[in-house]
Amino acid sequence: MQNLVSHENWKSCFCEIAPGLLLFARQWVQSAADAEDIVQEAFIKFWRRNHKIENRALLYAAVRSIALDFIRRDSRRARREATAVGETNEFIEPEFEFEDDTQRALAEAIDVLPCEQREVLVMKIWNELTFAEIAGALGISQNTAASRYRYALAALRNTLQPR
Amino acid sequence: MNNFSDIENELRKLRPAQPSPILFERVEEAMMDRSAVVSPARQPERLPYNWLSWGIGLAAAAALLLFAVLNMERQQGGGKEIAQISREPETAPLLNRAEESTSSEKFVPAGATRLVYNTRDEGLQFGRGSGQPVRRFRYQTRETWQWRNPTTGASLRVSYPSEEVVLIPVSGQ
Repeated sequence: MQNLVSHENWKSCFCEIAPGLLLFARQWVQSAADAEDIVQEAFIKFWRRNHKIENRALLYAAVRSIALDFIRRDSRRARREATAVGETNEFIEPEFEFEDDTQRALAEAIDVLPCEQREVLVMKIWNELTFAEIAGALGISQNTAASRYRYALAALRNTLQPR
Repeated sequence: MNNFSDIENELRKLRPAQPSPILFERVEEAMMDRSAVVSPARQPERLPYNWLSWGIGLAAAAALLLFAVLNMERQQGGGKEIAQISREPETAPLLNRAEESTSSEKFVPAGATRLVYNTRDEGLQFGRGSGQPVRRFRYQTRETWQWRNPTTGASLRVSYPSEEVVLIPVSGQ
């Protein structure tokens, strides 16, 4: 079992997980810069506490905890940002790299999913966590995690189905 | 789950945005500097408040101490008792004690309040060396102590802010 402290090539490890972690953090903050702050803080804490990289559910729990903390601390700023975002959508950094309009529509559909479904979807698809790991990170049962995931997929399919 | 394989495949084709190259530099710097746990951009926010709280708290404590010293000097110098802070346990009903006082020159405790003006749930935390998460609550309070001279009506009030952090273990499923 390897941990991050003894992981000589921590950069390759971080490169691998950073995009998924950032996407996970972006659920709570609009700004990519804030999401990067959160991911940095979580990753450093995880690394310093000598956790094993296999125990990555803790890393996601840390990102979630720090992000929620961030929202509470900066609630006024978040409200201002939300207003600004509502007025100027073009300034939001995209969360995905689109190749075509279908992917853009899919990303928009993900954006409007309920938060509890979206976080499970992000952890499962782009971070490749198991339902057991997701359940551990979110403090829910595996069945709940799996059903939230299915609800999210069903909602996305309904949104994208041609009418 | 197979019913959703088509949408899952579509989702997997979507690639999350890449982090900025600066993030890697920042993480590397933070890993080198073991003392910087919190992002330096956000750390100063809490400092002014904490210093202010400590300052006010210390000032209140100093005022209390000064009052006690002056009181002792007066008692020793003139042989005449002017004011006294009750030494009875805090748990006794303070207001009743004021009524029980028979001396006309004594300051007696007249009230104590603890106002919780802010409670903040700071989320789950992972303690150093402990795998079990804890939920951290921060309570900001203002404590006020009052003394009154029943004869002259003179009163003394000391008020100071305090902050309390409570960690509640969270059990996993």
